[in-house]
Amino acid sequence: MQTNLNSHKVLSAHTLTRAGILAGISVILMMVLEFPIPFMPPFLKVDFSNVPVLIGSFAFGPAMGFVIVLIKDLIHLLNTKTGGIGELADFLTAISLALPASLIYKKHKSRKGAILGMLAGIVAMTLVGTLANKFILIPFYSKMMPLEKILELCGKANPLINSTTTYLIYGVAPFNIIKASIISLFTMVLYKRISNVIHAK
Amino acid sequence: MLKDITLGQYVPGESFIHKLDARVKIVLTFVYIIILFIIDQTINYALFTIFTAMLVFLSRVPIGFILKGLKPMLFILSFTAVINLFMTQGETIWSYHIVGSWSLEITKEGIVIAVLMLLRLLYLVIGTSLLTLTTSPLMLTDGIEKLLEPFKKIGVPSHEIAMMMTIAIRFIPTLAEETDKIMKAQMARGADFESGNIVRRAKAMIPLLVPLFVSAFRRADDLAVAMESRCYRGGDNRTRMKQMKATYRDAVAGAVVTLFCLVLIVNEIIL
Repeated sequence: MQTNLNSHKVLSAHTLTRAGILAGISVILMMVLEFPIPFMPPFLKVDFSNVPVLIGSFAFGPAMGFVIVLIKDLIHLLNTKTGGIGELADFLTAISLALPASLIYKKHKSRKGAILGMLAGIVAMTLVGTLANKFILIPFYSKMMPLEKILELCGKANPLINSTTTYLIYGVAPFNIIKASIISLFTMVLYKRISNVIHAK
Repeated sequence: MLKDITLGQYVPGESFIHKLDARVKIVLTFVYIIILFIIDQTINYALFTIFTAMLVFLSRVPIGFILKGLKPMLFILSFTAVINLFMTQGETIWSYHIVGSWSLEITKEGIVIAVLMLLRLLYLVIGTSLLTLTTSPLMLTDGIEKLLEPFKKIGVPSHEIAMMMTIAIRFIPTLAEETDKIMKAQMARGADFESGNIVRRAKAMIPLLVPLFVSAFRRADDLAVAMESRCYRGGDNRTRMKQMKATYRDAVAGAVVTLFCLVLIVNEIIL
């Protein structure tokens, strides 16, 4: 079943309910299962909220992934602590992971296609994640705290990170690679087992 | 822990703010946040404090609920204050020599910046919490649907987005309960979710997530069949039991906020 957001045809009830419920799982995973990665700044956290996004976009096409991310972040917006900025950044990074991955998988429905797609997704998410930090999150937080100085202070503990640029290169970028890889790995393992159920009908 | 998931933090009430139209509240909250990041002058912070205090008073939300919303922010609030306090250069008014070239200094500018930044962060949280404290998630969803309606012409499916949000909100407690149940079922079979290193804990998630997804898909398809058998066909010509109506209250609120913004902006320009 294909969905196309741009067509004026009404989205089918099946698409609506699947996207809604997958977004629900996504919100739960975002709230319950997040943990910091060892050796990384503690506020950079991995959560599994993008696993349902990837599974949805693999099973029902890239548009589904887009919709799930949108709903997930709209709901998260109801509890926002950052005036929507954090949700905007999450939206962009999640899309950048799911879209390339599902577009490639749609063309090549094989294990190889899935792996290639996810690699593309990891690269895109790292890129977009780093840019989102540079242009959205850092300007936002520096309105409230002297980030430059905090990072200079960090330089005393970890000589690699002592400015915004080095923070992006040695902090945010590797974090996004790890995060995207964990999510992709999880999806690989899960999708194989779940796809039988999805496509059985 | 899963049972504790709450979406939004709605406190039912009959106050002026509660009765405002959800659309108006969403838009005004955005204006509030934007203006919060524009202001810079101390006098404007003072006005903003009065304005926020007035909002909190008008909403009649018990102050405890607002403080509860601040609790998760406690760390970042104090962290920000301390960093600003000690790391701002300027006229030293207090210093403490530690070792060698290391010393702690508090400057006059540091105090000012620490207080102002703290207020900014505080009001950001209070402003957004006030919206969710006085508006139920479903009203917010309706508000989002209405606000997105003008974009229908360029292909934004506003009704469908709201419907999916409603479904997600409706099923989050159900899914959370389900997750809990699966967790207990797997624990009864000897699964261990709590101990071990990260890799082991991640692996433990698989027997939890597979049944969760499978049952979620089943639920989704059941719901879709139920909707279709009741002739669901999208948002066109669909009527509502409760129509959203903007009243004189919304006009007053809009006028007050606009006036307030103008005063702040004029202050910024003059000073």
